[in-house]
Amino acid sequence: MDDFPKKTVRGVTLRADPPRESVFQVVQLDAEMHEYPGMVAQGQRERLHRHMSNEMGSLDIAAQCLSDFPQAPWELRLELARQAWDESRHVLALYRKLRKLGGRKGEFPIANFEWSVTCSLNTLAARLAVQNRTFEAGQLDLLGSLPRHWREAGDDEAAETLEAILNDEVQHVRFANRWLKELVRKEPGALLDVVRALQFLDIANQAISARDGEINAVGTPLATPQGKAIEVNIECRREAEFSEEEIRAAIRKAGMGSILPATDQRYA
Amino acid sequence: MTSIVRSRAERLATFRSISVQLMEMLARWVPTTPEMEPKVLFGRHIWDFAQHADMLGRRTFELRAPLHFTLAPAADYQLLLTELPSVASTADRIALLYQGLLPGLANRYGHYLQTADAILDEPSVRIVERISADIVRMLAQSSELLGELPQFRCANSDQAREFGRREAMVAELVAADAGDRRMRA
Repeated sequence: MDDFPKKTVRGVTLRADPPRESVFQVVQLDAEMHEYPGMVAQGQRERLHRHMSNEMGSLDIAAQCLSDFPQAPWELRLELARQAWDESRHVLALYRKLRKLGGRKGEFPIANFEWSVTCSLNTLAARLAVQNRTFEAGQLDLLGSLPRHWREAGDDEAAETLEAILNDEVQHVRFANRWLKELVRKEPGALLDVVRALQFLDIANQAISARDGEINAVGTPLATPQGKAIEVNIECRREAEFSEEEIRAAIRKAGMGSILPATDQRYA
Repeated sequence: MTSIVRSRAERLATFRSISVQLMEMLARWVPTTPEMEPKVLFGRHIWDFAQHADMLGRRTFELRAPLHFTLAPAADYQLLLTELPSVASTADRIALLYQGLLPGLANRYGHYLQTADAILDEPSVRIVERISADIVRMLAQSSELLGELPQFRCANSDQAREFGRREAMVAELVAADAGDRRMRA
Protein backbone atom coordinates (compact mmCIF):
# COMPACT_ATOMS: atom_id res chain seq x y z
CA MET A 1 0.00 0.00 0.00
CA ASP A 2 3.04 2.27 0.18
CA ASP A 3 3.33 1.94 -3.57
CA PHE A 4 1.94 5.32 -4.59
CA PRO A 5 3.42 8.48 -6.09
CA LYS A 6 4.84 10.87 -3.52
CA LYS A 7 5.72 14.55 -3.23
CA THR A 8 7.78 16.55 -0.76
CA VAL A 9 6.45 19.75 0.78
CA ARG A 10 8.86 21.71 2.97
CA GLY A 11 10.74 18.53 3.81
CA VAL A 12 7.68 16.36 4.54
CA THR A 13 6.98 13.40 2.23
CA LEU A 14 3.30 13.10 1.37
CA ARG A 15 1.17 11.26 -1.15
CA ALA A 16 1.18 13.08 -4.49
CA ASP A 17 -1.90 15.07 -5.46
CA PRO A 18 -4.80 13.20 -7.04
CA PRO A 19 -5.31 14.08 -10.72
CA ARG A 20 -7.32 17.23 -11.31
CA GLU A 21 -8.59 18.64 -14.58
CA SER A 22 -6.34 21.28 -16.09
CA VAL A 23 -8.68 24.16 -15.25
CA PHE A 24 -7.58 23.84 -11.61
CA GLN A 25 -4.31 25.30 -10.36
CA VAL A 26 -3.09 22.99 -7.58
CA VAL A 27 -0.89 24.57 -4.89
CA GLN A 28 0.76 23.20 -1.76
CA LEU A 29 0.88 25.91 0.90
CA ASP A 30 -1.66 28.08 2.72
CA ALA A 31 0.28 31.09 1.48
CA GLU A 32 -0.37 30.15 -2.14
CA MET A 33 -4.15 30.09 -1.68
CA HIS A 34 -6.31 33.12 -2.50
CA GLU A 35 -8.10 33.56 0.81
CA TYR A 36 -9.67 37.02 1.20
CA PRO A 37 -10.58 38.71 4.46
CA GLY A 38 -14.25 39.07 5.40
CA MET A 39 -17.16 38.40 3.07
CA VAL A 40 -16.33 40.51 0.03
CA ALA A 41 -17.81 39.07 -3.20
CA GLN A 42 -14.54 37.57 -4.40
CA GLY A 43 -13.96 36.15 -0.93
CA GLN A 44 -17.38 34.52 -0.90
CA ARG A 45 -16.66 32.79 -4.18
CA GLU A 46 -13.23 31.71 -3.00
CA ARG A 47 -14.72 30.19 0.17
CA LEU A 48 -17.25 28.20 -1.85
CA HIS A 49 -14.61 27.18 -4.38
CA ARG A 50 -12.20 26.02 -1.65
CA HIS A 51 -14.97 24.15 0.13
CA MET A 52 -16.06 22.50 -3.12
CA SER A 53 -12.50 21.36 -3.74
CA ASN A 54 -12.21 20.03 -0.19
CA GLU A 55 -15.41 18.04 -0.63
CA MET A 56 -14.00 16.63 -3.86
CA GLY A 57 -10.94 15.57 -1.85
CA SER A 58 -13.14 13.98 0.81
CA LEU A 59 -14.92 12.02 -1.91
CA ASP A 60 -11.57 10.83 -3.26
CA ILE A 61 -10.45 9.76 0.22
CA ALA A 62 -13.64 7.84 1.08
CA ALA A 63 -13.48 6.07 -2.28
CA GLN A 64 -9.78 5.28 -1.91
CA CYS A 65 -10.44 3.75 1.54
CA LEU A 66 -13.22 1.63 0.07
CA SER A 67 -10.87 0.48 -2.65
CA ASP A 68 -7.80 -0.08 -0.45
CA PHE A 69 -9.45 -2.06 2.36
CA PRO A 70 -11.69 -4.76 0.85
CA GLN A 71 -11.35 -6.86 4.00
CA ALA A 72 -12.87 -4.18 6.26
CA PRO A 73 -16.19 -5.15 7.88
CA TRP A 74 -19.07 -4.79 5.44
CA GLU A 75 -20.92 -2.34 7.69
CA LEU A 76 -17.88 -0.04 7.75
CA ARG A 77 -17.56 -0.27 3.97
CA LEU A 78 -21.22 0.72 3.73
CA GLU A 79 -20.48 3.84 5.80
CA LEU A 80 -17.63 4.76 3.46
CA ALA A 81 -19.85 4.21 0.42
CA ARG A 82 -22.50 6.43 1.96
CA GLN A 83 -19.87 9.05 2.71
CA ALA A 84 -18.79 8.98 -0.93
CA TRP A 85 -22.37 9.76 -1.94
CA ASP A 86 -22.69 12.55 0.62
CA GLU A 87 -19.44 14.20 -0.47
CA SER A 88 -20.54 13.94 -4.11
CA ARG A 89 -23.74 15.78 -3.29
CA HIS A 90 -21.78 18.40 -1.35
CA VAL A 91 -19.61 19.08 -4.39
CA LEU A 92 -22.73 19.49 -6.54
CA ALA A 93 -24.46 21.80 -4.05
CA LEU A 94 -21.41 24.02 -3.60
CA TYR A 95 -20.77 24.17 -7.35
CA ARG A 96 -24.40 25.14 -7.92
CA LYS A 97 -24.07 27.96 -5.39
CA LEU A 98 -20.69 29.04 -6.75
CA ARG A 99 -22.15 29.40 -10.23
CA LYS A 100 -25.10 31.39 -8.89
CA LEU A 101 -22.61 33.87 -7.48
CA GLY A 102 -20.93 34.14 -10.86
CA GLY A 103 -18.02 31.86 -10.00
CA ARG A 104 -16.50 29.07 -12.00
CA LYS A 105 -14.39 25.94 -11.61
CA GLY A 106 -10.73 26.85 -11.45
CA GLU A 107 -11.34 30.49 -10.53
CA PHE A 108 -9.00 30.14 -7.54
CA PRO A 109 -6.10 27.85 -6.63
CA ILE A 110 -6.88 24.64 -4.74
CA ALA A 111 -4.87 22.37 -2.44
CA ASN A 112 -5.19 18.65 -1.69
CA PHE A 113 -3.62 18.60 1.75
CA GLU A 114 -6.18 16.25 3.34
CA TRP A 115 -5.75 13.70 0.57
CA SER A 116 -1.98 13.92 0.67
CA VAL A 117 -1.81 13.33 4.42
CA THR A 118 -4.63 10.80 4.82
CA CYS A 119 -3.79 8.63 1.86
CA SER A 120 -0.13 8.46 2.94
CA LEU A 121 -1.36 6.29 5.83
CA ASN A 122 -1.60 2.55 5.28
CA THR A 123 -4.23 1.41 7.75
CA LEU A 124 -7.93 2.17 7.77
CA ALA A 125 -7.84 3.05 11.48
CA ALA A 126 -5.16 5.67 10.81
CA ARG A 127 -7.11 7.15 7.91
CA LEU A 128 -10.35 7.33 9.88
CA ALA A 129 -8.51 9.01 12.75
CA VAL A 130 -7.02 11.67 10.49
CA GLN A 131 -9.68 12.26 7.83
CA ASN A 132 -12.96 11.71 9.64
CA ARG A 133 -12.06 12.24 13.25
CA THR A 134 -9.72 15.20 12.75
CA PHE A 135 -10.26 16.97 9.41
CA GLU A 136 -14.00 16.41 9.29
CA ALA A 137 -14.35 17.19 12.98
CA GLY A 138 -12.60 20.46 12.17
CA GLN A 139 -15.31 20.98 9.55
CA LEU A 140 -17.92 20.64 12.27
CA ASP A 141 -16.32 23.58 14.05
CA LEU A 142 -16.01 25.65 10.89
CA LEU A 143 -19.52 24.90 9.67
CA GLY A 144 -20.91 25.66 13.10
CA SER A 145 -20.12 29.35 12.66
CA LEU A 146 -19.93 29.92 8.89
CA PRO A 147 -23.68 29.95 8.20
CA ARG A 148 -24.01 32.90 10.56
CA HIS A 149 -21.48 34.89 8.51
CA TRP A 150 -23.36 34.10 5.29
CA ARG A 151 -26.66 35.18 6.85
CA GLU A 152 -25.05 38.41 8.04
CA ALA A 153 -23.95 38.93 4.44
CA GLY A 154 -27.60 38.44 3.36
CA ASP A 155 -27.19 35.04 1.75
CA ASP A 156 -29.57 32.60 3.45
CA GLU A 157 -29.25 30.11 0.61
CA ALA A 158 -25.52 29.69 1.17
CA ALA A 159 -26.14 29.38 4.92
CA GLU A 160 -28.70 26.63 4.35
CA THR A 161 -26.34 24.78 2.03
CA LEU A 162 -23.66 24.78 4.70
CA GLU A 163 -26.09 23.70 7.40
CA ALA A 164 -27.17 20.72 5.31
CA ILE A 165 -23.53 19.78 4.75
CA LEU A 166 -22.83 20.09 8.47
CA ASN A 167 -25.67 17.68 9.14
CA ASP A 168 -24.03 15.01 6.95
CA GLU A 169 -20.55 15.61 8.37
CA VAL A 170 -21.74 14.78 11.88
CA GLN A 171 -22.45 11.22 10.77
CA HIS A 172 -19.07 10.95 9.02
CA VAL A 173 -17.32 11.81 12.27
CA ARG A 174 -19.66 9.68 14.37
CA PHE A 175 -19.15 6.50 12.36
CA ALA A 176 -15.40 6.98 12.56
CA ASN A 177 -15.59 7.40 16.32
CA ARG A 178 -17.66 4.24 16.63
CA TRP A 179 -15.55 2.17 14.29
CA LEU A 180 -12.25 3.30 15.73
CA LYS A 181 -13.39 2.02 19.12
CA GLU A 182 -14.35 -1.26 17.53
CA LEU A 183 -11.15 -1.60 15.51
CA VAL A 184 -9.00 -0.90 18.58
CA ARG A 185 -11.06 -3.32 20.66
CA LYS A 186 -10.50 -6.06 18.12
CA GLU A 187 -6.87 -5.19 17.44
CA PRO A 188 -5.23 -3.09 20.16
CA GLY A 189 -2.26 -2.42 17.86
CA ALA A 190 -4.54 -0.16 15.82
CA LEU A 191 -4.21 2.40 18.59
CA LEU A 192 -0.52 2.72 17.83
CA ASP A 193 -1.39 3.33 14.15
CA VAL A 194 -3.70 6.11 15.25
CA VAL A 195 -1.10 7.75 17.49
CA ARG A 196 1.54 7.62 14.76
CA ALA A 197 -0.95 9.01 12.24
CA LEU A 198 -1.76 11.98 14.45
CA GLN A 199 1.95 12.67 14.97
CA PHE A 200 2.44 12.57 11.21
CA LEU A 201 -0.49 14.95 10.75
CA ASP A 202 1.05 17.36 13.25
CA ILE A 203 4.34 17.41 11.33
CA ALA A 204 2.56 17.91 8.01
CA ASN A 205 0.39 20.68 9.46
CA GLN A 206 3.44 22.54 10.68
CA ALA A 207 5.02 22.28 7.25
CA ILE A 208 2.19 23.76 5.20
CA SER A 209 0.77 26.26 7.67
CA ALA A 210 1.43 29.96 7.49
CA ARG A 211 4.58 31.29 9.14
CA ASP A 212 4.57 34.31 11.41
CA GLY A 213 3.98 37.47 9.35
CA GLU A 214 3.35 35.57 6.13
CA ILE A 215 1.08 37.11 3.49
CA ASN A 216 -0.82 35.02 0.94
CA ALA A 217 -0.86 35.28 -2.85
CA VAL A 218 -3.52 38.03 -2.84
CA GLY A 219 -1.97 40.05 -0.03
CA THR A 220 -4.05 38.81 2.89
CA PRO A 221 -2.03 38.52 6.12
CA LEU A 222 -2.22 34.92 7.34
CA ALA A 223 -2.71 33.80 10.91
CA THR A 224 -0.45 31.09 12.28
CA PRO A 225 -2.27 27.99 13.60
CA GLN A 226 -1.83 29.39 17.12
CA GLY A 227 -3.31 32.72 16.08
CA LYS A 228 -6.45 31.31 14.45
CA ALA A 229 -9.66 31.75 16.43
CA ILE A 230 -11.67 28.52 16.20
CA GLU A 231 -15.15 28.19 17.64
CA VAL A 232 -15.44 24.61 18.82
CA ASN A 233 -18.84 23.21 17.86
CA ILE A 234 -19.65 21.53 21.15
CA GLU A 235 -23.16 20.40 20.20
CA CYS A 236 -22.11 18.72 16.97
CA ARG A 237 -19.01 17.18 18.54
CA ARG A 238 -21.28 15.64 21.16
CA GLU A 239 -23.63 14.33 18.48
CA ALA A 240 -20.60 12.90 16.71
CA GLU A 241 -19.87 11.02 19.96
CA PHE A 242 -16.69 12.67 21.09
CA SER A 243 -16.26 12.22 24.83
CA GLU A 244 -16.55 15.22 27.13
CA GLU A 245 -12.81 14.92 27.78
CA GLU A 246 -12.11 15.08 24.04
CA ILE A 247 -14.32 18.14 23.66
CA ARG A 248 -12.45 19.80 26.54
CA ALA A 249 -9.18 19.04 24.77
CA ALA A 250 -10.50 20.56 21.52
CA ILE A 251 -11.49 23.72 23.36
CA ARG A 252 -8.08 24.00 24.99
CA LYS A 253 -6.37 23.42 21.64
CA ALA A 254 -8.50 26.18 20.12
CA GLY A 255 -7.10 28.50 22.77
CA MET A 256 -10.47 29.10 24.39
CA GLY A 257 -9.91 27.35 27.70
CA SER A 258 -9.55 30.63 29.52
CA ILE A 259 -12.97 31.94 28.46
CA LEU A 260 -14.82 28.98 29.94
CA PRO A 261 -16.22 29.36 33.44
CA ALA A 262 -13.74 27.90 35.88
CA THR A 263 -16.64 26.36 37.77
CA ASP A 264 -17.88 24.43 34.76
CA GLN A 265 -16.74 20.95 35.65
CA ARG A 266 -17.22 19.68 32.12
CA TYR A 267 -14.92 22.17 30.42
CA ALA A 268 -12.63 23.51 33.14
CA MET B 1 -33.14 -26.81 1.46
CA THR B 2 -35.24 -27.17 -1.67
CA SER B 3 -33.58 -26.65 -5.02
CA ILE B 4 -35.83 -23.68 -5.87
CA VAL B 5 -34.77 -21.83 -2.72
CA ARG B 6 -31.14 -22.72 -3.36
CA SER B 7 -31.44 -21.47 -6.91
CA ARG B 8 -32.88 -18.13 -5.74
CA ALA B 9 -30.09 -17.71 -3.20
CA GLU B 10 -27.47 -18.42 -5.84
CA ARG B 11 -28.97 -15.94 -8.31
CA LEU B 12 -29.13 -13.22 -5.69
CA ALA B 13 -25.63 -14.05 -4.42
CA THR B 14 -24.38 -13.67 -7.99
CA PHE B 15 -26.09 -10.30 -8.35
CA ARG B 16 -24.49 -9.37 -5.04
CA SER B 17 -21.03 -10.22 -6.32
CA ILE B 18 -21.62 -7.99 -9.36
CA SER B 19 -22.82 -5.11 -7.14
CA VAL B 20 -19.79 -5.37 -4.86
CA GLN B 21 -17.41 -5.48 -7.80
CA LEU B 22 -19.06 -2.46 -9.42
CA MET B 23 -18.95 -0.56 -6.13
CA GLU B 24 -15.23 -1.35 -5.81
CA MET B 25 -14.59 -0.41 -9.42
CA LEU B 26 -16.20 3.00 -8.98
CA ALA B 27 -14.26 3.46 -5.74
CA ARG B 28 -11.11 2.87 -7.76
CA TRP B 29 -12.22 5.17 -10.56
CA VAL B 30 -13.23 8.14 -8.38
CA PRO B 31 -9.74 9.22 -7.24
CA THR B 32 -8.26 8.51 -10.67
CA THR B 33 -10.85 10.53 -12.60
CA PRO B 34 -9.53 14.09 -12.95
CA GLU B 35 -12.75 15.74 -14.11
CA MET B 36 -15.16 16.88 -11.42
CA GLU B 37 -18.57 16.05 -12.92
CA PRO B 38 -17.80 12.44 -13.91
CA LYS B 39 -16.05 11.93 -10.56
CA VAL B 40 -19.22 13.08 -8.82
CA LEU B 41 -21.38 10.81 -10.99
CA PHE B 42 -19.24 7.81 -10.05
CA GLY B 43 -19.24 8.88 -6.39
CA ARG B 44 -23.03 9.01 -6.28
CA HIS B 45 -23.33 5.54 -7.77
CA ILE B 46 -20.90 3.94 -5.33
CA TRP B 47 -23.67 4.21 -2.76
CA ASP B 48 -26.27 2.75 -5.11
CA PHE B 49 -24.21 -0.37 -5.73
CA ALA B 50 -23.36 -0.65 -2.03
CA GLN B 51 -27.05 -0.60 -1.12
CA HIS B 52 -27.83 -3.19 -3.77
CA ALA B 53 -25.14 -5.47 -2.37
CA ASP B 54 -26.44 -4.93 1.14
CA MET B 55 -30.07 -5.68 0.32
CA LEU B 56 -29.16 -8.75 -1.70
CA GLY B 57 -26.82 -10.00 1.01
CA ARG B 58 -29.49 -9.75 3.67
CA ARG B 59 -31.95 -11.56 1.46
CA THR B 60 -29.55 -14.48 0.89
CA PHE B 61 -29.63 -15.08 4.64
CA GLU B 62 -33.43 -15.24 4.53
CA LEU B 63 -33.01 -17.87 1.83
CA ARG B 64 -30.98 -19.99 4.27
CA ALA B 65 -27.61 -19.11 2.79
CA PRO B 66 -24.96 -17.22 4.78
CA LEU B 67 -25.49 -13.50 5.45
CA HIS B 68 -24.02 -11.55 2.51
CA PHE B 69 -23.51 -14.77 0.59
CA THR B 70 -21.60 -13.86 -2.58
CA LEU B 71 -20.92 -15.93 -5.69
CA ALA B 72 -18.75 -14.74 -8.55
CA PRO B 73 -20.71 -14.83 -11.83
CA ALA B 74 -20.07 -17.14 -14.77
CA ALA B 75 -16.52 -16.91 -16.09
CA ASP B 76 -17.38 -14.93 -19.25
CA TYR B 77 -19.25 -12.32 -17.24
CA GLN B 78 -16.53 -12.22 -14.60
CA LEU B 79 -14.02 -11.52 -17.34
CA LEU B 80 -15.97 -8.36 -18.26
CA LEU B 81 -15.95 -7.25 -14.62
CA THR B 82 -12.23 -7.89 -14.42
CA GLU B 83 -11.49 -5.88 -17.59
CA LEU B 84 -13.66 -2.90 -16.76
CA PRO B 85 -11.72 -1.40 -13.80
CA SER B 86 -8.55 -1.02 -15.86
CA VAL B 87 -10.19 1.33 -18.38
CA ALA B 88 -8.30 4.60 -18.07
CA SER B 89 -10.01 7.42 -19.97
CA THR B 90 -13.05 9.08 -18.46
CA ALA B 91 -15.11 8.92 -21.65
CA ASP B 92 -14.36 5.21 -22.05
CA ARG B 93 -15.27 4.56 -18.42
CA ILE B 94 -18.64 6.24 -18.85
CA ALA B 95 -19.33 4.50 -22.15
CA LEU B 96 -18.38 1.00 -21.05
CA LEU B 97 -20.23 1.15 -17.75
CA TYR B 98 -23.37 3.04 -18.69
CA GLN B 99 -23.76 1.99 -22.31
CA GLY B 100 -21.84 -1.30 -22.34
CA LEU B 101 -22.62 -3.09 -19.08
CA LEU B 102 -25.53 -1.59 -17.14
CA PRO B 103 -28.31 -1.90 -19.75
CA GLY B 104 -27.63 -5.63 -19.94
CA LEU B 105 -27.54 -5.92 -16.17
CA ALA B 106 -30.88 -4.12 -16.01
CA ASN B 107 -32.26 -6.73 -18.44
CA ARG B 108 -31.01 -9.50 -16.20
CA TYR B 109 -32.78 -8.03 -13.20
CA GLY B 110 -35.86 -7.65 -15.42
CA HIS B 111 -35.62 -11.32 -16.32
CA TYR B 112 -35.52 -12.20 -12.63
CA LEU B 113 -38.75 -10.26 -12.13
CA GLN B 114 -40.42 -11.93 -15.10
CA THR B 115 -39.57 -15.41 -13.90
CA ALA B 116 -39.93 -15.02 -10.14
CA ASP B 117 -42.95 -16.19 -8.20
CA ALA B 118 -44.48 -12.86 -7.30
CA ILE B 119 -46.00 -14.21 -4.10
CA LEU B 120 -43.61 -16.83 -2.77
CA ASP B 121 -40.49 -14.84 -3.70
CA GLU B 122 -41.99 -11.39 -3.11
CA PRO B 123 -39.23 -10.27 -0.70
CA SER B 124 -36.66 -10.81 -3.49
CA VAL B 125 -38.99 -9.24 -6.06
CA ARG B 126 -39.30 -6.05 -4.01
CA ILE B 127 -35.52 -5.78 -3.72
CA VAL B 128 -34.96 -6.41 -7.42
CA GLU B 129 -37.66 -3.89 -8.34
CA ARG B 130 -35.90 -1.26 -6.29
CA ILE B 131 -32.54 -2.11 -7.84
CA SER B 132 -34.05 -1.95 -11.32
CA ALA B 133 -35.48 1.50 -10.61
CA ASP B 134 -32.08 2.63 -9.33
CA ILE B 135 -30.36 1.45 -12.49
CA VAL B 136 -32.87 3.32 -14.64
CA ARG B 137 -32.04 6.48 -12.64
CA MET B 138 -28.29 5.85 -12.87
CA LEU B 139 -28.54 5.49 -16.64
CA ALA B 140 -30.59 8.69 -16.83
CA GLN B 141 -27.99 10.54 -14.73
CA SER B 142 -25.18 9.43 -17.00
CA SER B 143 -27.19 10.51 -20.07
CA GLU B 144 -27.82 13.86 -18.43
CA LEU B 145 -24.11 14.34 -17.85
CA LEU B 146 -23.31 13.48 -21.45
CA GLY B 147 -26.02 15.89 -22.58
CA GLU B 148 -24.52 18.73 -20.56
CA LEU B 149 -20.88 17.86 -21.18
CA PRO B 150 -20.56 16.24 -24.62
CA GLN B 151 -16.77 16.15 -24.30
CA PHE B 152 -17.29 12.98 -22.23
CA ARG B 153 -18.98 11.16 -25.09
CA CYS B 154 -16.80 8.28 -26.18
CA ALA B 155 -15.21 8.88 -29.57
CA ASN B 156 -15.27 5.16 -30.29
CA SER B 157 -18.84 4.02 -29.64
CA ASP B 158 -18.03 0.62 -31.20
CA GLN B 159 -16.11 -0.20 -28.04
CA ALA B 160 -19.19 0.16 -25.81
CA ARG B 161 -21.34 -1.69 -28.33
CA GLU B 162 -18.86 -4.55 -28.43
CA PHE B 163 -18.76 -4.65 -24.63
CA GLY B 164 -22.57 -4.74 -24.56
CA ARG B 165 -22.56 -7.51 -27.16
CA ARG B 166 -20.20 -9.60 -25.06
CA GLU B 167 -22.39 -8.98 -22.01
CA ALA B 168 -25.46 -10.15 -23.90
CA MET B 169 -23.63 -13.29 -25.04
CA VAL B 170 -23.46 -14.57 -21.47
CA ALA B 171 -26.54 -16.77 -21.38
CA GLU B 172 -26.44 -17.85 -17.75
CA LEU B 173 -25.18 -15.42 -15.11
CA VAL B 174 -24.87 -17.94 -12.29
CA ALA B 175 -21.62 -19.88 -12.56
CA ALA B 176 -22.00 -23.53 -13.48
CA ASP B 177 -20.05 -24.57 -10.38
CA ALA B 178 -22.00 -22.29 -8.01
CA GLY B 179 -23.31 -25.26 -6.05
CA ASP B 180 -19.82 -26.64 -5.50
CA ARG B 181 -18.47 -23.27 -4.43
CA ARG B 182 -21.38 -22.88 -2.10
CA MET B 183 -20.46 -26.14 -0.40
CA ARG B 184 -16.97 -24.79 0.19
CA ALA B 185 -18.13 -21.35 1.37
